[in-house]
Parts: sequence; structure tokens; C-alpha cells
Amino acid sequence: MTKIKSSALVLFCTVSLASCLLLGQVQRPGEYPRGEKPSPMMNFFVTSEPVGDGGNLGGLAGADAHCQTLARAVGAGNHTWHAYLSTQARPGQPAVNARDRIGKGPWYNFKGEMIAQDLAHLHGDTMELAHQGNNLNKLTGLTEKGQIVPGLYDYSDPRDNDWDYAKTTRFSTRHEMLTGSQTDGTAFTDGLDHTCDNWTSNKSPAPGTSNGDLNAADGRPNAQIGFPDRNGGGNGSWNSAHGTRGCAQADLPKTHGQGLFYCFAID
Amino acid sequence: MTKPRAYVVAFCTVMLASCLLMAQQNLPPNTQGVTPPPGSPPATPARMTFFVTSVGIGKGGDLGGLAGADAHCHALAAAVGAAGHTWHAYLSTQARPGQPAVNARDRIGTGPWFNYSFAQLGAPQNAIISANLGELHGDTLVQAQRGSNLFKQSARNEHGEVIHGIGDTPPIQHEILTGSKWDGRAYTDNADHTCNNWTSSTTGSAQVGHSDRIGNGSSWNSSNASKGCSQAALESTGGAGLFYCFAID
Repeated sequence: MTKIKSSALVLFCTVSLASCLLLGQVQRPGEYPRGEKPSPMMNFFVTSEPVGDGGNLGGLAGADAHCQTLARAVGAGNHTWHAYLSTQARPGQPAVNARDRIGKGPWYNFKGEMIAQDLAHLHGDTMELAHQGNNLNKLTGLTEKGQIVPGLYDYSDPRDNDWDYAKTTRFSTRHEMLTGSQTDGTAFTDGLDHTCDNWTSNKSPAPGTSNGDLNAADGRPNAQIGFPDRNGGGNGSWNSAHGTRGCAQADLPKTHGQGLFYCFAID
Repeated sequence: MTKPRAYVVAFCTVMLASCLLMAQQNLPPNTQGVTPPPGSPPATPARMTFFVTSVGIGKGGDLGGLAGADAHCHALAAAVGAAGHTWHAYLSTQARPGQPAVNARDRIGTGPWFNYSFAQLGAPQNAIISANLGELHGDTLVQAQRGSNLFKQSARNEHGEVIHGIGDTPPIQHEILTGSKWDGRAYTDNADHTCNNWTSSTTGSAQVGHSDRIGNGSSWNSSNASKGCSQAALESTGGAGLFYCFAID
């Protein structure tokens, strides 16, 4: 009698343990991969956290430093990291194109998977390349900690739009990457704000001027964003889908962003 | 006899508890994109003018030609109350002696096209799959770089469900038959890209796109060639013989 019970117990134990381990395998968006370290080849990542002051990143230098800090924390500080961000021309100050700041590629993610072969592949410089697309997608657009970036409908929590909630969890939608760039990776030239005043502004639009529109407009603080998961915003562009509701940190989650951005190693 | 049993119980409990704890990580429920948020308006399939077929015809690349594929679109639409449209499959056929090529892009009307789910979710900015043929196919370089609104969470079947793609639970069904080039037109070389104009369930090959835009780049309509035309061949690479249906009216 005891023998039968023992073996039944062992069987139950094995089955439940096995199924538990299997269940734990699936890496859900926002979750850290277990026991995995970044590939030594990693020279691309999505920031796991924002700078935290909306569109004010401390300019390009501040954004680059954020990339460097995050990379160093996971043992990838032996590269020179640049943020994929453009700045717009100002009197006496030429524009900076995001695509000119990130080296030549090829770029690899946390897992060592290739994101793009070169600048032309990344941006789709020819009709053929643009139609083919690069290899950046929901499963490859990983943070420096190896997380999938929570995207459209992953958690479907209305509180995702509220920074006070969103900042307390890794599991809220946050798939809008600041780029300030056009689809070809260059700065905008239309005189409207697409870069939160060259990544120094944390201002919200004046009351009544936003009206929910996500296109840039005269005098409105705004940043152009793209989606690493290619899902959302009317087109799914990785680097130039639409604008934001403003440049304050609390404005960014209103459209499922948090002020994250892409980092590339230039060496 | 009781002692080893006690050990087993203790070991099992500890292991199971730690495993469950590890799996926890305070995860909120993952909706897989199928469940609309609470308070959403009821489904309105009548507004739907685009869907991915929930099932294939089952004979691989043999769809009974364009007519058979169109009939499949219509039958699936009718089953969910969307028969009030004229439905066409997004498929090209290649030229044959005395028979000109048919371009998928010329068969689907002029848009705009709406999917089931986003109409249901009441999010007008996302409801649209594409405003027109140029945006859908990326006719200009900027349009091609940006892409259309046809992506994993919008490319739903006639029930409003997301097509399982890379990273989802099997079976993965993201290889969608098109027989088309990136621009939505038929191939003009001599190779088979359409399972013999959608009549072969054995030899040949069909060009496919990815509804989740993952795999060999990110094209929705032309990413790679199928291994063959049998149902098994389609399934072996993450397909099911599904295709896109558009209402032309």
C-alpha cells in the first residue's frame, strides 16, 4: 500500500515539477531571461529604462551617457555607445542625423541575433531593401537585459497610460522609442519640433493645443517615435511612426511610450 | 518506510514552491491580443473589409484557382455575418499562353480597408489596415520604409483573432499565401510562385508573406518561397495555406 502511494507521489511530483518548469520557460514581455547574459556580440539594445525626465535627455550627450551606463551595468561597457537620436538644425548649429551616429554595423542584439547588416539594410535605403525590411521585430528588439519590450495588447491595462502606475512595473506597454528622425534616419527639416527641443525639453503642450493629434504642430513640444515591435501607430515603422502628446515624462505613456530609445555601439 | 516518503514529500514541496515562485515575477495576465479591453463596444463584423482566413482550404496550394479562393473568403465572411461585401483573395496568378497574369493588388479594390478587431475596439486611428493601395504596398520609398498598418496585432482573422506567429504557441501559421512580389504584382519569370496558379497540391512553390512581419525581413506579402505545394509542405515552414481576404466594395 505504502509502496504504491510512494510511487504515485513521485509521479505526481515529477509531472507537476516538469510542467511548472515548462511553463516558466516562456519569456513574456518585460520579463528577464533566466540566467542569460548578453551575447559578447551585443552592439544594439533598447534601453530597459528611460532617463526619466520625458524628452529632456540632457541632449545627445546625456542620451549617450544613459546608453553607456546601462551597457556597463550588464558588462557591455567595453564599447562606445550612441543613442539613435537626431537633433534639428538651429542657428549656427547644424542638424545631426541619427543614422550618422551609430557606426556601420552589422548590429546584434542581446542574443547575438543580427538586427541589420548595415545602414542601408537598417533603414531600407532602396525600394528593394525597404520592402524587405530589417530584422528588428518584437522578438529581436531586446533591452540590454534581454527583455522583450511590452507592446500593443500584451497586458492591455488602461493604467499603462499613467506614468504613476507605469513606473512601478516592468509589465506595461512601452513600445514607443524616441528617435526624432524621419524614416531614412535623418533629422526633420520642417521647422516643427520633432526632438523635444533637441532632447532638452520636458514641457507639456499648452492646454487646448494638443487635441490628441500625434503630428508635429507649430509651437507644440513633440518627439517622433518608432516601434521595435513594428506594431502600432498606423504604420509600424521602427524609427518614424508618429509624434507624442508632449515632452513631459507623464505625456509619453499617454500613447504607450516611456522615453526609451535605441542604443548602438559604434565600434 | 515512512522516512523516505517524508523526504520525497519535503523535496517535492520545496522544488515545486521554488519553481512556482520563480515563475511568478508578479506578471499581470497576458491577453495574447485576443481580448478587447473592458467596456469596448460590441463587435461589428459588417465594417470589416479585411481579414486573414482563419483556416486554409486544406489542400495546400490547390485553392481551386482564384475563384475557389474568393469563394473561401466569402464563405468565411458569411459565417461571421460579413456577407454584405464582395470578397477577393489577395493572390496573383502568373501568365500562361493565351492567359495574362493577374496581380493581387489589382483585385482588392481601392481601400481603405478595416480589420475586424480594431473596428470592434473602437480605435479609429488603428482601425485601418491601409488607406489605399500605395500605402499598403509601399509604392514610394518613404511608404515602403514606414510600412502599412498591417502588422501582427492588426492582421486578424474573421473572428478577430491574431494569427500565431514566431514566438507564439504552435502551430505557427504566419506564412500567408500571396504568389506576389513586394509590389503586389505577379512574377514574370518562368519559375512557379503560385502553386501552378493555385491548382497544385503537390509540386511547385508559392511565394508567401508573414502576417506578423517576422522572418527573412518584415514583409507582409513577399518574404520567401514555400518548400512545396502540399499541405504538409506549407505546414513544415510555419504556414497553413491561409491567405488575405479584402472586400472590394
